[in-house]
Amino acid sequence: MACRVFLVSFLLLLAASPAISTNSEGAVLRALKARLSDPSNVLQSWDASLVNPCTWFHVTCDAHNRVIRLDLGNSNVSGPLAPELGHLQDLQYLELYGNNFEGRIPEELGNLKSLISMDLYGNRLEGGIPKSFAKLKSLRFLRLNNNKLSGSIPRELVTLSNLKIFDVSNNDLCGTIPIDGPFATFPLQSFDNNSRLNGPELQGLVPYDFGC
Amino acid sequence: MESRLFQNLLSTLLLLLLLPFLLAMGSASLASQGRALLQWKASLQSQGLSLQSWKPSASPCNWTGVTCNVTRRGLRVITEIYLSNTSLVGTLDALNFSALPSLTNLNLSFNQLDGTIPPTIATLFKMSSLDLTSNQLTGKIPFEIGSMRRLQFLNLSENQISGSIPPSLANLSRLNYLLLYGNSLSGTIPEELGRLRNLVFLKLADNLLTGFIPPSLGNLTRLYKLALYDNKLSGTIPQELGNLASLVKLVISNNSLTGSIPSSLANLTMLSMLYLYNNNLTGTVPRSFDNLRNLTDVRLFNNSFSGSLPAFKNLVFLDLLGNNFSGYLPPELCSGGMLQHLVVSYNNFEGPTPRSLRNCSSLTRVRMERNQLSGNISESLGVYPYLNYIDLSFNQFSGNLSAKWGKCANITSLRISNNKITGKIPPEIGQLAQLRVLDLSSNFLVGEIPKNASMLVSLYQLNLSNNKLSGEVPKDIGKLSNLEILDLSKNNLSGRVPEKLGDCFKLRLLKLSSNNLNGNIPFQIGNPVNLLDLLDMSHNSLTGDIPSQISKLVILQDLNLSHNELSGLVPPSLRDMISLLSIDLSYNELEGPLPDSQFIRRSPIEWFAHNKGLCGEVQGLPPCHTFSTSKAGSAKHHKVVLLATVPVVGTLFLLFLFGGATFLLLRRRNNTVQDASQKMEGGAFSIWNFDGKDAYEDIIQSSPAKWQDSCCQKD
Repeated sequence: MACRVFLVSFLLLLAASPAISTNSEGAVLRALKARLSDPSNVLQSWDASLVNPCTWFHVTCDAHNRVIRLDLGNSNVSGPLAPELGHLQDLQYLELYGNNFEGRIPEELGNLKSLISMDLYGNRLEGGIPKSFAKLKSLRFLRLNNNKLSGSIPRELVTLSNLKIFDVSNNDLCGTIPIDGPFATFPLQSFDNNSRLNGPELQGLVPYDFGC
Repeated sequence: MESRLFQNLLSTLLLLLLLPFLLAMGSASLASQGRALLQWKASLQSQGLSLQSWKPSASPCNWTGVTCNVTRRGLRVITEIYLSNTSLVGTLDALNFSALPSLTNLNLSFNQLDGTIPPTIATLFKMSSLDLTSNQLTGKIPFEIGSMRRLQFLNLSENQISGSIPPSLANLSRLNYLLLYGNSLSGTIPEELGRLRNLVFLKLADNLLTGFIPPSLGNLTRLYKLALYDNKLSGTIPQELGNLASLVKLVISNNSLTGSIPSSLANLTMLSMLYLYNNNLTGTVPRSFDNLRNLTDVRLFNNSFSGSLPAFKNLVFLDLLGNNFSGYLPPELCSGGMLQHLVVSYNNFEGPTPRSLRNCSSLTRVRMERNQLSGNISESLGVYPYLNYIDLSFNQFSGNLSAKWGKCANITSLRISNNKITGKIPPEIGQLAQLRVLDLSSNFLVGEIPKNASMLVSLYQLNLSNNKLSGEVPKDIGKLSNLEILDLSKNNLSGRVPEKLGDCFKLRLLKLSSNNLNGNIPFQIGNPVNLLDLLDMSHNSLTGDIPSQISKLVILQDLNLSHNELSGLVPPSLRDMISLLSIDLSYNELEGPLPDSQFIRRSPIEWFAHNKGLCGEVQGLPPCHTFSTSKAGSAKHHKVVLLATVPVVGTLFLLFLFGGATFLLLRRRNNTVQDASQKMEGGAFSIWNFDGKDAYEDIIQSSPAKWQDSCCQKD
């Protein structure tokens, strides 16, 4: 009897698991497109009537038709980053550098659990670096340089043990630079040109708010 | 006297009897109808501008959205209310339906009404059209609606209605349109719905319906459109659906249907649209579908269909992707001259492309990849002025790429990889100004890459790898400013790596490996600073130094220059390439110290093996001597040269000493005494100096340029 209950619950759990369909991944990308201005028509091929986004240009899927790459670097697009992007659970490369993305970096991007590389450098993004980025456990490359980001570098990011490159230069960040975990390996140039960034944090002392 | 009393009594009685009717007439009066609407208006949280005209001072018949009619008794009554898209926010709870008995049409669609549908709505017994589409209504469909016998049009779509479809709806014998799509309806489709003989449209799509498609639906002989898609229906397609003699559109895609297509569906002579995609259907498409002359749009993708296709003729749209279909594609597929969308990828089709495709100028999108199709495409394909996308990859197509491709002016993606295409790439390909992706990889193409290829200004992906292309990489490839992916690997290309490649600033992947490229790597290779993924020029005959400008590629993850004839120093600036995950410099003629970085120190020896004389902190490589030109003096620099020279020097010194001693002994016989050490100064042997450091410096002076950092090369 207990066995049967277990089996039924297991099956119910399977049925309930949020396996987002590829159709929904197309919906995510369409939500992104809807809010963007695209004068170079880079997103022209993003046809909503196609059953999945895998034949759309600048979108790469794996063998199971899950989106693994989004390559829109230097594409002359402007507008906000859609929070829906956080639903792309198999996304490995988010390449949005060299555009005019504006507004805040959505917290939801912290849900991209398969992400290896996030390049948002060279845009006009503002607001803080989301604490939720601490969930990006596969992340190796995080380049947020050359934006208008403010606030402090979340200490939570020291848990990202795979992080190899972290570039936040040319922003308006403040506070101190973490020194633990991967931060021990990042060269100082990664933090250049943040006039209110106060250098490495001093350990063992009461955290001092540098007016951040 | 008595008759008068009797008369009085009679009139009173009459009055009493008539009173309810009088009262009823009074309650059906325009004023009371208006009052009911005003009561409802007052309950709404907002109404936009449209209900501004709804005032007691005005006649309801003049209110916005209200239509009146005159009864046989000459009374004016409200018959229609049309308030679609008027920003109504609120519920229907305060709407006294029983006060509006004359209402025949009620349209409150595209508003923000929430709450439930009150069962009292059923008092609208004259209602013929009820439209509450696209609101936020919740709760269940009241079974009482089944008593609204005059209902012809019922649309409750795009709400959040839950519960099951009440079987009582089957009593709506006049119903023509039953539209309940886009809700959260659950349970099964009531088989009673088969009694709705007048139904023309039945759309229950996009709900949570389960269970089987009731065979009784086959009784709906006037049905034009049956839309049950986007549900969780299971079981088979009932063969009774073959009785739907008027059916034009059958859409049951995105369910969990099993079994095969009943051959009875071949009786649906009016059928134009057949969508069965995303189910678990098996079996073959009935051969008798040949007779369905009106069939224009067939989408069966993502099922497990097998067998060969019927002789489809008049199709506009055919999508069969991801099944086990086999046999030949119907030759007359485009004989109607209207085929636009042809997708048959991921099946087991064989044989040639349909002969009617040759003149099928209506084509816009063609996908045939991953089949076993064959035949000579230079003959079987024609000119397609509206073609936007074509993928014929992973088949056995043969023949040449004809010049006709140049006339497909709207083409954005041309993929014919992994086939047996021969001949040259026609220069006419340069005319394709809209081309974004060109993939001709893994074929047997020969000849040169046409110079015209540099005219493909929209191109972002170019893959010509694994062919037999010869000649040079076009010098003005730099004009392809949108190029992101360039793969020319595995060909017989010769000549130099063009320096103009540095102009392709969007380049993220560059593969030129396995060719016969010679000459130096141009320093401009460092210019596409967005080079992210891969730079692979391995397996060529590249010579000269690795330009230090390559270190500008700070985002590059993988660098492969192995199997070449590169010589000289590895530029120390390579330590600036902080994103590298792998680097392969093996099988070259490189020498000298490797750049010192944590990444290099942790690298496996295989990445640097088989060179001329590399040294460094890599396990397996000899450590280096401290060089005066090396950066950031490290106390750990070992004196490789010293270790090499000391034993040699020592041995030679001993030999000389022995020889000198012998000579001296011989000289002594001639009475000339000379100091042995003096003999060692000056002349050719001054180099064999005991002091190792001085010995090294002497070597340095004898070969000036060899150990210095090489830069600023041009060609």
